[in-house]
Amino acid sequence: MTVLHKLQGFFEELRLNGVPITPSNAMDCCQAVLQIDWTREDYFYSALYSTLLKDFAYQEIFDQVFQDYFTFPSSQDPTPEKRHPIIYRQLDAIEQVSISGGQMAMGSSQSQGRAADSPGGSKNPLDQDFRLDSMAEIHKLEAVFPVIARRLAAKMVRKRNRNNLAMIDFRRTIRNSMSSGGVPIDLFTIKKTREKPVILAICDVSGSVMTFSCFSLALIASLERFFRKIDSFAFIDEIDEVSKLLLSGNPLDLRKHVLRHARVVGASGYTDYGVSFKAFHQRYRSYLSHKTTVLVFGDARNNWFNDESWVLQEMKKNVRKIYWFNPEPRRNWGLGDSRIFEYQKYCTQVFECSTLMQLEKAISQL
Amino acid sequence: MNGIEELKNHMIKADYICNEKTATVLYLAEALQKPVLVEGPAGVGKTAIAQAFSRMKGIPLIRLQCYEGIDESKALYEWNYKRQLLHIQAAVNQGQDSRQVEEEIFSESFLLSRPLLNSIISDTPTVLLIDEIDKVDFEFEALLLELLSEFQITIPELGTIKCRHIPYVFLTSNASRELSEALKRRCLYLYLDFPSREMEEQILLLKVPDLSQQLAEKVASVMRRIRGVEMRKLPSIAESIDWAASLVWLGKDDVDVDTLLQTINTLVKHQEDLEKLERMLYSRQDLEFR
Repeated sequence: MTVLHKLQGFFEELRLNGVPITPSNAMDCCQAVLQIDWTREDYFYSALYSTLLKDFAYQEIFDQVFQDYFTFPSSQDPTPEKRHPIIYRQLDAIEQVSISGGQMAMGSSQSQGRAADSPGGSKNPLDQDFRLDSMAEIHKLEAVFPVIARRLAAKMVRKRNRNNLAMIDFRRTIRNSMSSGGVPIDLFTIKKTREKPVILAICDVSGSVMTFSCFSLALIASLERFFRKIDSFAFIDEIDEVSKLLLSGNPLDLRKHVLRHARVVGASGYTDYGVSFKAFHQRYRSYLSHKTTVLVFGDARNNWFNDESWVLQEMKKNVRKIYWFNPEPRRNWGLGDSRIFEYQKYCTQVFECSTLMQLEKAISQL
Repeated sequence: MNGIEELKNHMIKADYICNEKTATVLYLAEALQKPVLVEGPAGVGKTAIAQAFSRMKGIPLIRLQCYEGIDESKALYEWNYKRQLLHIQAAVNQGQDSRQVEEEIFSESFLLSRPLLNSIISDTPTVLLIDEIDKVDFEFEALLLELLSEFQITIPELGTIKCRHIPYVFLTSNASRELSEALKRRCLYLYLDFPSREMEEQILLLKVPDLSQQLAEKVASVMRRIRGVEMRKLPSIAESIDWAASLVWLGKDDVDVDTLLQTINTLVKHQEDLEKLERMLYSRQDLEFR
């Protein structure tokens, strides 16, 4: 086994654990290893770290895999030969590591294919909570999150057209050119002020919408990376701000994280939109402004509590738009304890989002 | 002595203390000729690393401070409209051939070069610092890709300008939004975190003249405790340097609760954080300053 193989194994291990390693990352990594004294753990570690890891969120997984995979003489170990292959067996192998780019890229793409075939990275701690059936679905979601978020972001930021920006303010330019004998020396352009949307997301995290809330929290979290100002709130029958919580961890873990660290369960423990909205109105009203776009994620199933829809009515007066994303199929709306039609009166639009496709469509309609 | 160790010492001479990890990344950046993307909380020395690197190499630092709405006319190049107009006016008066005039006004002498172009056309190697890259729009990020991978810039009217010396590029980001994969892929990644106590002590001793060893130790350990408190903005190295400097100015040789309360404004910059810390200091008289 050469260093190259060892490294490839490491890449695959990382991929299985959910860290995206592209072929070009892998190539860079091999080249970096050649540049340093790789018998020293700290150098070796940072060479791998700086070329493979591009996101701080993966640091923990990376460290874990690194420790499991490579062992260096400094650590206490009774059988060094067995566990330090990279140090003892391969000192002569380094010549073989002179990688031609193509070969390496091929190797990596092969292994990437393999990683994709293998059943969903069972070692990944993030997946353990989900049933196997839905695992593939959730993995698909994971891949789509950033895409959807980016699209949503692009839609909401009214695109600053560069031509518009460079449009000449004719009157001003000509008037000013008088002082230079009619030569328009200074060009004045019409500058459009850019709209900065402020997003406020309210998400139902109760058990009835479990998968959907996992997904919507992840969506909010990835939106959070595109807008600097997103306030997010989660509720069951008590509402709490979760903006900070969403910054940490892996998207699919967020729901658990929120349930553990935020005060979203109140007196009854059953979903209560009315109480939560009212609490929002009392405590967080000041977050709203005429620039705010409110996104509500939930099924509006209120367990027959008061719906307090006046809160939305009140909200609507103050904010730019209110969008509601409902994970239930439209035919179930209004049946049983669903109060969606009551809330719909005050929403700019309500979208049916029982599948990903529908959500994408909803977003493209915004 | 190997290259990384050497680089580390050189950086210390340039007033920047870095650990093995950072030194390795810097070494690799040089060896592989790749840009370095530096992320981390505000004030841990992301910008300083580029400045120190340019000092160490003895080459100029070209800095592009990014902000929302920055575009190529501010970062890359802009045609000098005024000169072009004056030139046309002059040419008309002399009755010059219009095609020739057109050729003239789109030549390099009518080009106002901005930081990115400057670093490309510079006769000497440069350190290019693209500060707070996370503030720019997606379009601008895409614009950087050509520069960061090929070290060249394409100007439609002039053609492609290749660099004479590959600049050392540092990009800094506060991670306020996620950067595109394409950009990240082209860079080496370096996450700077708050330093260890020992390292902070060294940094303080280096950055604050007249600071006694004992006070540096104390400051470093107090900073460690304060960073354990949950706050809106944790004080970083920049703040601890300020604080140590103000302690020296005030002629203190020890830190107690009163001194801390007196100088707390150098450390904490948010009203809420300030109140929280003050409450803690009052309630737990010593904050375990042992």
